[in-house]
Amino acid sequence: MMHGSSVGSRLWIRVFGAPLLIALATTIGLLAALLWGDGGRYVAWVTVGFPVLVIFGIWLRRSRKAGSS
Amino acid sequence: MKARTVRLWSVVHTWTSLVSTVFLLLLCLTGLPLVFHHEIDELLGYAPQPEAHASAARATPQQVADAALAADPGRLLQYISWDKDEPGIVMAFTNSAPDAAPDNATVRAFDAASAKLLGPVGVGPMLIVLKLHTDMFAGQAGKLFLGAMGLLFAVAIISGVVLYWPFTRRLRFATIRDSASRRVVWLDWHNLIGVVTVAWALVVGLTGVVNTWAELMLSQWKATELASMVAPYAGKPPPSHLASLDGVVARARRAAEGMEIAFIAFPGTPFSSSHHFAAFMRGDTPLTSRLLKPVLLDGETGEVADSRALPMYLQALLISQPLHFGDYGGMPLKVIWAALDVLTIIVIGSGLYLWLARRRKRGATRADAFAKRVPVSS
Repeated sequence: MMHGSSVGSRLWIRVFGAPLLIALATTIGLLAALLWGDGGRYVAWVTVGFPVLVIFGIWLRRSRKAGSS
Repeated sequence: MKARTVRLWSVVHTWTSLVSTVFLLLLCLTGLPLVFHHEIDELLGYAPQPEAHASAARATPQQVADAALAADPGRLLQYISWDKDEPGIVMAFTNSAPDAAPDNATVRAFDAASAKLLGPVGVGPMLIVLKLHTDMFAGQAGKLFLGAMGLLFAVAIISGVVLYWPFTRRLRFATIRDSASRRVVWLDWHNLIGVVTVAWALVVGLTGVVNTWAELMLSQWKATELASMVAPYAGKPPPSHLASLDGVVARARRAAEGMEIAFIAFPGTPFSSSHHFAAFMRGDTPLTSRLLKPVLLDGETGEVADSRALPMYLQALLISQPLHFGDYGGMPLKVIWAALDVLTIIVIGSGLYLWLARRRKRGATRADAFAKRVPVSS
């Protein structure tokens, strides 16, 4: 039972871990610019922009792979 | 997750998405230029530019009011506003009556130093885009309808997150199965972009919904808080003459220490009573500059009548606005906002494609099965 549950939670983390971290970063960034002034703006640029970077990075990697094969 | 549960969530996800698809595409497509509305207005020559001045002296509120009335003879002043992001400009709203419809108001920009008329505000093509985005030219009914579409969008996002598990639990994060069919490749992109942008899409979607309730919230505030603020003055006629605006603004500043004036509503307008000015004050931090504090002042004497913090629901509305518009983090945040908007369009478009592709596939399977049952004559 314990074994099954730990496998389940590992699988859950594998599936939702990265999306959760990205969502958390986005949320922090959205609030940062509102709460912390100029410093918060820089945080927002990085963290709210992170999902865009992730997608762009994956698209770029696939394009390069497709180009080289 | 049981197959039946997955099917149930799948039905929720499919239909909440499908019903709202056209309107969400409209909102995303109109929202994209609206992110840069200021820059576009400037480029097209619709953004008034302040004059260059050597001294930091500013025109008094009364000078701006006089200039606004002179620019629009026979009409009345409804509001004067001071935008913290455009300190060189003061905007004045004139209309045929204090409580006339907002759509009939004329907004003009005046130089903050000389009170010289700089030109009209809120005209040009971006106004059409804005109306399409906020109410589709259908007034309050259009706003509430789009709000309902926003709620469906939120349900579609949440059901999408639930379905992310059964669809991706055997895959590594960010897997795109290139060797599979085009439909599977788009399913992977749909899942990936959707789950990566989930927080932003939920925040922008839900704050958009809150914004559609703005007029209802304002009506509630007027019927409760504002009504109790003006109750001691019930039965007082509208002011026979108006107090000097300079005195009104000075007293409002004293009543709300450390705060600056954001806008002033004239007596009889939806934001004040028939006998009072309402000065809406803002703080100087990024957060408090969004949260307004109303100060009620007698229309004839300019004396402070009352001052209270706005209720939670109106504070929530004020905070939801920047989180929806994305205009609070400079140009880089605007560019990111636009990129996320484009990604949302891709998620919506790919969702529609996946639904159509699945229908086509089911149709073909049914036709095959039917063909196998029909005896072939020789």
